[in-house]
Amino acid sequence: MVNDVRALLQEAVADPPGDETDLSAVLLGGRQRVRRRRGGGVLGSTVALGVAAATLTLVTSGGADPGRVAEHRVPRPEGPVLRVSDAGTAVEGRDYDLLASYTNRDLESRNGQYFDGVTDDGLILFRDGPHGLRNRVRWALRDPATGVNDWLPDPPAGVDQPRALRLGADRLYFLATPLDGRGPFRLLVLDRATRTWSTLVWPGLPRAEEYDAAFGPDGRIYVGVQAAAASPPPGGWPTGPDGEADDAAAEDDTNDLWSVAPGDLADVRDEKTRVGVFTFTESALVWTTQRDGTREQVHVRDLRTGAEHDFDPRLGARCNVLSFRASGDRIVIGQYCGTYDDGRDDRIQVLTTDGETVTTLQGDSIDGWLADGSGDGHLVQVRAWRPDQEGDLVYDLDTDRLLRVSDSVSSWSMGGPVPAGSLLVDRAYGEDGGSSASMIPDKGAVQWLIRWRS
Amino acid sequence: MPERRDEDAFVAFAQGARGRLRSTAYLLCGDWDRAADHVQEALIRVYVAWPRLTKAGREYGYARKALVSVVLDHARRRSSTEVVADVDASIGAGYSVDSGYDLAEQVTARAALLAVLADLPPRQRACVVLRYFEDLSVADAARALGCSEGTVKSQTARALDRLRSVFEDSPLGELTVGGGTSW
Repeated sequence: MVNDVRALLQEAVADPPGDETDLSAVLLGGRQRVRRRRGGGVLGSTVALGVAAATLTLVTSGGADPGRVAEHRVPRPEGPVLRVSDAGTAVEGRDYDLLASYTNRDLESRNGQYFDGVTDDGLILFRDGPHGLRNRVRWALRDPATGVNDWLPDPPAGVDQPRALRLGADRLYFLATPLDGRGPFRLLVLDRATRTWSTLVWPGLPRAEEYDAAFGPDGRIYVGVQAAAASPPPGGWPTGPDGEADDAAAEDDTNDLWSVAPGDLADVRDEKTRVGVFTFTESALVWTTQRDGTREQVHVRDLRTGAEHDFDPRLGARCNVLSFRASGDRIVIGQYCGTYDDGRDDRIQVLTTDGETVTTLQGDSIDGWLADGSGDGHLVQVRAWRPDQEGDLVYDLDTDRLLRVSDSVSSWSMGGPVPAGSLLVDRAYGEDGGSSASMIPDKGAVQWLIRWRS
Repeated sequence: MPERRDEDAFVAFAQGARGRLRSTAYLLCGDWDRAADHVQEALIRVYVAWPRLTKAGREYGYARKALVSVVLDHARRRSSTEVVADVDASIGAGYSVDSGYDLAEQVTARAALLAVLADLPPRQRACVVLRYFEDLSVADAARALGCSEGTVKSQTARALDRLRSVFEDSPLGELTVGGGTSW
């Protein structure tokens, strides 16, 4: 039997109970809120500070009409700018080597098998699943040269959608997301020598609904524990040129930063730092206190000396931080900066740890992130989604070159951590040759593991 | 406050849109009563923004985004001690993700889908509802959720992973997303 998601969802709401939505209560509530907003602008600063601050964001970003995005064309960022059209073409054998590829022809009806990351010693983490009612997943370590899989013992039961955090030569670490979005921070660890799984939970770590985590260069695991959930500003977001609400520059969640020792479940440390996003170089913690660009500072703490400095990264006035990673003396920040009459303003900004912008890759419907290594990578993967520009590109931090690697991108989300100098590239696989924008869906994906030549 | 004629237009809009919004809210939260509360709050936000919305058109897009925000805000703020029935008991009757193969054969695919939806993290659930109930493009879903298109794709893929895995190898049969989009 074939079940269609769309049809099932429509059936689920086909026979609703009587609607008792009280429109008079809506009008009453709306009028009260409008009065409160208007009052907020003239009240004393001690009373309405929160409301005024949120309103100020809109005024500064939106111009004279606080509810309307004032600019109509995508603004140019400060400093040098690169665009997708500036990319050269990467050539296999000259710019990169293809180490392995794998084609999954039918991800749509069956998850099947696919590359899930690469270990520090160069083996592919090869994933099978999830499958079945129990959401079973199993992994193998695959030799890219021979394609031979060494299947690992089954992970502990009850794990939902584990995500690789670090793929070391000695241990593999996976984030185990609580199925219901709640519960303690939990890691699954496979000891590769003994081929045994263990589950790590630190009782001293505060519980939250969401966590962010990364290994620090000191070997500790740094955990962002959700501290504050953002809310829309009073009255909602401004409206973009397409009539849709546009929350560029909106506030996002913030986390309190803690750290734990992988080998000692009693070793839990409050880093006493409020972060929006955080990452590490080989020697420093780098973070922002918020995710929106309007009042943002980037902070850098040398983990050996404790010395700190911060700077204004000069993000655009309406930029939200979507990706944030660092390596050596470079920081790479992926941003969404609003939608204008001539398209989306998406950016990948590369700057030094002293705050100098090296370049900004700007485009309509592009994503980008520092894709390789653990604080020692140099490859920024740029994914262009617009049909006339579709494909994966690589910006090399070492050479400042932007090269196109592929001319299609998969609609499926795959991959995981890879060591410095390696990349996983996903191409669409479908009946018409594959394009995420084509009318014929890409049912599968072709994955490449490549090693970049620098 | 909007002029009287604006209120009339707003009421007309609200009367026309609330049914669809309520269905979307129900799929997002799994409870008709809570869905009505969410729609009410979303419509209040629409009221506040109404003067500028009517200049730009596409009022429903704003209302939908406000609704998604209300539901996600509510999910985030739920106390860890609060006992929440994420899906109508009647809908999930006989079906439990944890109980796995104790499924009775009479369990319908619809009930199974709703039960699994209820167990998804809120943003993954929202991606499924926006893409396959509201039939939004990836770009429009990204706008509604306030995230990148890549995030919508990855969240949707994770959600579909979960949904498919439950249907796979079960008496329910295969789950497809048909309709001409890849996911």
